[in-house]
Amino acid sequence: MTISVFLVDDHELFLSGVRAELDDRFDVVGWATDVDKAIDAIRKARPDVVLVDVHMPGGGGLTVVKNITETNPEVRFLALSVSDAPEDVIAMIRGGARGYVTKSISPEQLAAAIDRIAADDAVFSPRLAGFVLDAFTETMPVEHDPDLDQLTPREQEVLRQIARGYSYKQVATRLSISVKTVESHVSAVLRKLQLSSRHELTRWATERRIV
Amino acid sequence: MESPAAIENIGDEPSGRGPKLVRRTDDRVVAGVAAGIALRLGIAPVYARAAFVVLAFAGGVGVVLYGVGWALLPDDRTTEPPPPPQPISGRQLAGLALAFVGILLFLDVIGLWFGDVVVWPVALVSFGVAAIWDRGNYDYQTALTQIAGTDSTTRPSRSRVIVGGLLMFAGALVLFNAVDAFSGLGPAAIAVALTTIGFLLIFGPWVWRLAGDLNAERRERIRSEERAEVAAHLHDSVLQTLALIQRSTDSKKMVTLARAQERELRAWLYASGETSDASLEAALQNAASRIEADHDVPLEVVVVGDRAIGTRGAALVQAATEAMTNAVRHSGANRVSVYAEATDETIDVWISDQGSGFDIDEVPEERLGISESIVGRMQRHRGTAEINSKPGEGTEVHLHMTGEGT
Repeated sequence: MTISVFLVDDHELFLSGVRAELDDRFDVVGWATDVDKAIDAIRKARPDVVLVDVHMPGGGGLTVVKNITETNPEVRFLALSVSDAPEDVIAMIRGGARGYVTKSISPEQLAAAIDRIAADDAVFSPRLAGFVLDAFTETMPVEHDPDLDQLTPREQEVLRQIARGYSYKQVATRLSISVKTVESHVSAVLRKLQLSSRHELTRWATERRIV
Repeated sequence: MESPAAIENIGDEPSGRGPKLVRRTDDRVVAGVAAGIALRLGIAPVYARAAFVVLAFAGGVGVVLYGVGWALLPDDRTTEPPPPPQPISGRQLAGLALAFVGILLFLDVIGLWFGDVVVWPVALVSFGVAAIWDRGNYDYQTALTQIAGTDSTTRPSRSRVIVGGLLMFAGALVLFNAVDAFSGLGPAAIAVALTTIGFLLIFGPWVWRLAGDLNAERRERIRSEERAEVAAHLHDSVLQTLALIQRSTDSKKMVTLARAQERELRAWLYASGETSDASLEAALQNAASRIEADHDVPLEVVVVGDRAIGTRGAALVQAATEAMTNAVRHSGANRVSVYAEATDETIDVWISDQGSGFDIDEVPEERLGISESIVGRMQRHRGTAEINSKPGEGTEVHLHMTGEGT
């Protein structure tokens, strides 16, 4: 069964471009150019995966993610943005998006990312992996939930490999583990990122942009 | 004491139903009583203040009245914000002035008086100053509220300056003749002092305004310069690139142009004008964008634990730059990943591509790129370079350095 995809982006030109790229591989069930329409339409269409832009008038992608996750937790989100500012990335992931890619991504990579998201997996671009490693280094003040707030050495190693530009499959080969294991590490990292008690995370991300 | 009632009654007649009588907290010198009364009467606050000053000399009546006003009038925070002052007609103003003179005469008659030689000069000087400062005062307030768009045309009107100056001069003359205390001073010193004071009083508001105008003008100039700079930058970069893209038929070239432009614009927007190679990330990003522009292959740079680099760190960046150049030149890969990790003590950089790869043992000695620029440079700076490559599987260069100066 083909994966149903919904697109949310206020930039119509970009929207039609992505639609054309994805049309033959996925079932594009709808699209919206503003936040309110998107929320209504997604509730009706119930797609497998929503590609959501981060910066939009009327609250941005984060509003869409939060609203839909409340009522339809089965819908998966992949954030797609021109912004690679850490605070945007971190906010979307913590808001419930399963992945974050920049708009410069190639069509094949985007398709692969959608497949992964639909399979309930996480998508970490090299940049996102770098942010997570950066945010979870020891220099951050330690707070209450050490188990949740720390990455295991293995998870760090997986993220490092991803940050170095390797695909999940290559990471698996290089670390002599199965792709499934790589996926579960990545999912664990995503969960930690979303549930992390580090309120500092957002502040970190904001400061990071100025440095 | 019927004078407060008198003042209020006079106020009632000309304005019909004016604003409520309150103490103004937004425009006050002592407690806002004078400003409140002025608002009620529709005159500039400075006249009401002058009236209180004069009455203060009339046997202290002004001070008492002010105290009474302070105690009785509600302050405007407990009521509504004051409406804009209502302008008053010339006839009403004349009426007010006559009434005020009447009150003074009345006080003179009943004996609440410091003497003609004090009160009348004070009255003349007070209202002279008030007449001059009036406009200044008002314009100053307007200037505050519309700091962006002030115009410098509002200097005190000629007639006002003349009237105010004459009043002051007359007052000063009377006072000068009447009071013996001045006789000790040399006439010249007094003349200079009086002239200076008069000059300051007449031109003070105007100078003040001029300074404000200059300030506003400077701000406006800075703003327009910034706008011009943004326009120039966009023209030199984005517009040029867009023009190039429109004329280009090679889609790969277009992508490269767009990417280089994106990178540059991002750096310009978010790096707050900083283009130095002071930090690891900035140095690597700069190197990457230079190479990308020359070779049409995108480089993705990810840095963890960015920090300032020392001289040895700079050498590592040079080695990394060489490795990046090799990767885009020889690997044939369609993208190159650069990943850097820094702690306080160490720097690690991995440059990887998934291109053709090569057999490291078969690189000829004279190929300076790898042996000298990468391995040799790292060794000279007490670092290590590890090159992993297999034909068909791509290449990864790992640069490592630890200790001081990184």
